Amino acid sequence: MSPEYEAVIGLETHIQLNTQTKIFCPCKADSWNDPPNTNICPVCTGMPGVLPVLNKAAVEKAMLLAAAMNAEIQPISYFDRKNYFYPDLPKGYQISQYNMPIARGGYLVFPMPDGSERKVTIQKLHLEEDAGKTKHDFGRRLIDFNRCGVPLVEMVTGPDLHSADEAAQYIIRLRQLLRWIGISEADMEKGHLRCDANVSIRPKGAEVLNPKTEIKNLNSIVAIREAIQTEIQRQIREVEAGNPIEAWTLEWDEDRSILRKMRSKETEADYRYFREPDLLSLQIDEAWKAAVLSTLPELPLQRRARFVKEYGLPIYDADILTSERSLSEYYEATLQAYQGDPKRVSNWIINDVLRIINELGVSAAELKITPPYLAQIIRMVDESVINISTGKALLDKVQNCGKEPAAIVSEEGLAKMNDADMLETLIQQLLVENPVQVESYRKGKSGLLGWFVGQVMKQTQGKADAQLTRSILEKYLNQK
Amino acid sequence: MDLCDYAAYQLVRMIKCKQVSACEVLESTLKRIAAVDGLPGQLDGDRDAEPNKVHAFITLTAERARRQAQQIDRAIQAGEEVGPLAGVPFTVKDIFCVEGTLSTAGSKILSNFVAPYTATPVARAEQAGGIMLGKVNLDEFTFGSSNESSAYQPSPRNPWNTSRVPGGSSGGSAAAVAAGEGCLSIGTDTAGSIRQPAAFCGVVGVKPTYGRVSRYGLIAFGSSLDCPGPLARNVSDAALLLQVMSGADPHDSTAANLPVPDYVADLEKPIKGLRVGLSPDYFRLTYVAAESGELEQQPIPEDYKQAIYRVAGRLAEMGADIIEDVPMPHTKYGIPAYFVISRVEAASNLHRYDGVKYGYRTQQPVHDLHEMYRKTRGEGFGLQPKLRILMGMYVSAAQYSEQYYMRALRVRSLIRRDFETIFNPEGRYRLHALLTPTTPTTAFPIAQVYGDSVLMQFADQLTVAANHAGIPAISFPCGFDPEGLPYGAQLIGSDFSEALLLRLARNYEIATETDQWRKRIPPILRST
Repeated sequence: MSPEYEAVIGLETHIQLNTQTKIFCPCKADSWNDPPNTNICPVCTGMPGVLPVLNKAAVEKAMLLAAAMNAEIQPISYFDRKNYFYPDLPKGYQISQYNMPIARGGYLVFPMPDGSERKVTIQKLHLEEDAGKTKHDFGRRLIDFNRCGVPLVEMVTGPDLHSADEAAQYIIRLRQLLRWIGISEADMEKGHLRCDANVSIRPKGAEVLNPKTEIKNLNSIVAIREAIQTEIQRQIREVEAGNPIEAWTLEWDEDRSILRKMRSKETEADYRYFREPDLLSLQIDEAWKAAVLSTLPELPLQRRARFVKEYGLPIYDADILTSERSLSEYYEATLQAYQGDPKRVSNWIINDVLRIINELGVSAAELKITPPYLAQIIRMVDESVINISTGKALLDKVQNCGKEPAAIVSEEGLAKMNDADMLETLIQQLLVENPVQVESYRKGKSGLLGWFVGQVMKQTQGKADAQLTRSILEKYLNQK
Repeated sequence: MDLCDYAAYQLVRMIKCKQVSACEVLESTLKRIAAVDGLPGQLDGDRDAEPNKVHAFITLTAERARRQAQQIDRAIQAGEEVGPLAGVPFTVKDIFCVEGTLSTAGSKILSNFVAPYTATPVARAEQAGGIMLGKVNLDEFTFGSSNESSAYQPSPRNPWNTSRVPGGSSGGSAAAVAAGEGCLSIGTDTAGSIRQPAAFCGVVGVKPTYGRVSRYGLIAFGSSLDCPGPLARNVSDAALLLQVMSGADPHDSTAANLPVPDYVADLEKPIKGLRVGLSPDYFRLTYVAAESGELEQQPIPEDYKQAIYRVAGRLAEMGADIIEDVPMPHTKYGIPAYFVISRVEAASNLHRYDGVKYGYRTQQPVHDLHEMYRKTRGEGFGLQPKLRILMGMYVSAAQYSEQYYMRALRVRSLIRRDFETIFNPEGRYRLHALLTPTTPTTAFPIAQVYGDSVLMQFADQLTVAANHAGIPAISFPCGFDPEGLPYGAQLIGSDFSEALLLRLARNYEIATETDQWRKRIPPILRST
């Protein structure tokens, strides 16, 4: 961006809550891979005479999000009707929350890759139902009502972000948070986390808010970054050419990396909001709130900071270990069982356990290498019971069979061979069998020591204690 | 007197002890329908066809009813337990969804809509052994007080005088019950739609406390005002039906989670010491003069007033205390506030009829989605829905909402406060019920008021306040005017006081049991 401009960005997110059932009826909420119009009932298809009944689980998940975003959960909130016509909105209105939403205020402080921090405020956080999906098919409109009534939280930030990167980082941290507190799968490709961006520019340092454009359908982190970047550049070009910025609604074409104008947005639509008479007010008393919030875990950025402070881990390690809640719990459980150097456990997890997690596509909690098993492996390596390569090979063995590492070591005889008598016998035999190499060594080709060590290792399947082997070899080779 | 003229509670007794069968009761009722009902209402039907018939029905489901009746008889033969409505034929206002039946709301736009599920109050009546006869006519989407606005014509006529309207919007229900076409009917009341037709047709109608009866399956008009309720020929039967309809419902979160008292048990308990009020504000009509725009007042007809005072006299004889001059200052704003609130909700509730998913869709060629919407709704809705959509959209628009909708909501609170004041057990009046005329007039002639939507609305002036306040009210017959048309008396009570209102009304029935007027039957039945 040219140095004299500053972008002003606000993000509007729709978060699909991962409840079992829809927000106002008992239909299954998640319809991924299900054929169209199979998870529907009279209620979510807006048949005459039906009534919504609020799903408590959706409310509780929204409460967790509100608390995680530092928003204030309201003791009383209301649902309202947002009236508009669209074929995939079967009632002709969406049940949403308007002026008395479930939570008010809120913010998120998140780190940028360079270590600096940003704070974004939350202007709006409310519960609502999703609409269906319309598919255009050769001049026909096909409507899938499966998504009707899926619970959403709409969350809108203040105009606090100032670059495409900041916007992307916010969404990355939000996605992490949603999964962490377990309220959404937050899979952008599946539409669990949808993002629209409001973008404007202004001279750097100015306080004004200029006319903004809205970019719809940002369905990946890459799209968010690229689309916003593209739009900022476009606005700068327009302004520098002396053209006004008009309040357009744009759509990001991810395949072609271009912005398309959807419509001019001159007047705000009048949705004729009024209180939904079919639902009672939503009352959240202190007891309910306390019970729900007692399940709220330590949040990812807090845990990241604690790992640095408490365990002396580098930011890099802490960031990786807290990328996902179960991994961070895995780390701490392992550390607890290990009772040793936190960095050493971190190395094992980041270098080796993560590889297995990624290869298998499982979460840390699902590993057969449980935290006590991992701790046991690290300890056996520390105590020279096994050597490091055996330790690493053991990880895969444990993951495959689920047995305790120590049991595998004894069953398979993987323990280091540090029985000096046995090694001496083996080495004496080796020297007898290889007189040419012995002769060469003795004539000064001392590099051959490595070859002898290799032969011992080969014969012991790597179990021989390398140091001991070396000293016995030297003893015999240097005789005479 | 035919079997179909017996009270529901009598029939249940007779059927349970095998004195008669449910099938016999049903056949007697079907015979009555065949004799008096005439053509059912149909789309584009002739308004003036068969002017001497009742025309209560849109859809008669005789075969379904026969199967239900046979089941009841089989169960009784087998000695099985049957419900409190065993074998009692009842009708359902065609604003309720009943699985597998046409559920039209009296509108062309739902003319082909077969409901995929059954409304809770109907399901409960059927579970209690009631025999559903079919779906009866109403004003389109319940928008009216005469039934003349139904897309299904001929619309119902008043069995006491077929040149008169039966009232509305539960006009088919009231007319059917009055003519012996089923002992009971399930209606709905948004501003008086059960009580006004009950009064016009000389039957009993109960508008329960909002939330007492589930609205699930009731095609919505004004969702914050709509109440399903019973219509019956006597208070005991109304209590019987209300009993089975009431109670919490997992499908309706606005249905009250309060236990349902026994409405039948205490009906005949004495009413000594109960305080019944009379308010001058319920003996005059306030309306907006068309020319000046000023509020003007007019007393209700003297003979109607006297009829209500006679009710007060009989209640006093039974031991009730009558308290006069109870002020109800906000009664006069009931209709204007209702005009606004109900239309905002109605316009929104009618959004779903877009021709996309079910119901009528235009047969004309269309170029795009919006043209499909416009033509479908333009052709499918009658005048009343259109007027109400226009008004509702106007008063809820962002720039007018404060001036109209929000203001109407505040008026609604004031109306509620009027009632809280008079029912306050520590207050000055400490009333148990307010006694009023149900309607400003007896049944008016067909075609006299229809077309003047504003005047038509004032038929609800004395009933709508209970809907605003969410409180229960009952209308019951209390004699006839000089032209032989029934007067209706209304008792309005505090939240969930249905049992008390029913008890007062039943005591009045007992007091007047031997009155000459009680012996009258609708003229239309004399020929049967």
